[in-house]
Amino acid sequence: MPDLFTDQLSAYLDSELDELRRRRLETHLGECAECRAVLGDLRALIAAAPNYRGREPLRDLWPAIEAGLEELGILPITPAGPPAGPPTRFSWPQLIAASLLMAAIGGGAAWLALRGPSDRPAGATALAPDGPTIPRSIAYAEAQYDVAVADLTSIVEEGRSRLDTATVRVIDESLRKIDLALAEARAAIQRDSTNVYLNRQVAANMRRKLTLLRKAADAIART
Amino acid sequence: MTSALPDLDQADVALAVTGDHAAFERLYRRHVPRVMSLARWLLDGGDADDAVQEVFIRVWQKLHTFAGQSSFGTWLHRVAVNLMLRRRKNLGLSRQRHAADPAELETISAPTERPDLRVAIERAVEQLPRGAREVFVLHDMEGYKHEEVAAMLEVDPGTSRSQLHRARMLLRQLLAT
Repeated sequence: MPDLFTDQLSAYLDSELDELRRRRLETHLGECAECRAVLGDLRALIAAAPNYRGREPLRDLWPAIEAGLEELGILPITPAGPPAGPPTRFSWPQLIAASLLMAAIGGGAAWLALRGPSDRPAGATALAPDGPTIPRSIAYAEAQYDVAVADLTSIVEEGRSRLDTATVRVIDESLRKIDLALAEARAAIQRDSTNVYLNRQVAANMRRKLTLLRKAADAIART
Repeated sequence: MTSALPDLDQADVALAVTGDHAAFERLYRRHVPRVMSLARWLLDGGDADDAVQEVFIRVWQKLHTFAGQSSFGTWLHRVAVNLMLRRRKNLGLSRQRHAADPAELETISAPTERPDLRVAIERAVEQLPRGAREVFVLHDMEGYKHEEVAAMLEVDPGTSRSQLHRARMLLRQLLAT
């Protein structure tokens, strides 16, 4: 098994040999079983390499990652607008539907736990008449979200006197910031309805509003 | 490099891009083993945990730029490789490591068991000298071309080619039963 040929086996497998060297090597391979064996081993190695499974971390890294995501916090829309990105992949109805469904489910659970079945009809809150045309399922999800927010807001308003003033101040200030971010993002979406960044901000802030109201309602229920 | 579950990835990316942590956690759990191995191989056992955390936080921030032209797994690995190579540079892992070191080769021992070729390769890769390992991981495992590998590692393409051949031959030796 001359080294001259062995050293060319990788380049041969990667189709990087010129015609003359490739022919010489193939002639040699026809005569040398040892080189053929090496070639076979390398071929199997190259075929298997991309399909590696990887190893689990020794400890669960998700809690630290999730804490990092939380630290990113609310990202209000700046007047300069979002950074430019490549063409969008998800439509605005897809994004809002995915987010609102999750938000409505989460909010609804807390709402039912606190208040029991509501006599308010689902979908009582109408969508803005000049908003984009969106499918019925999305309209339903958004209506569910609005109902959950309205009921949780009502609970918080009725029970706010049972909370200490510092807590009430934090809640009010957080809600004000979230509502401001939501209003700015929604206004921007009116100008660019397919922008993924803007839609993500709307969905994230809607979710945060629901979470905040749910926590406030929980705090009131514990008093 | 392809994801084993591209449809699930696609659905979870659509949710995660709206801010859904649970969907992003599912993506994390499906992909973390390969990203962790990548960190171990490219950072030479440095703080792989920290690097992996940074990768997923960075991916979360950049998720809205994922255009779906490749699989999520391929995109994730591109982000991970770039970040790890930057870390590698900051750690001062220099190009001189790409020079052949015969003493380093002598420390390599054969693996004690061989459950299957893929697992055996993963274990054997850890025993390669750093220069050969980095080129093998980037070229054969992650699918970069020699010119790309050379630019990433700040070596010339000829060095990348020779290190790759060296890595393959060492792995063959390590995997021999």
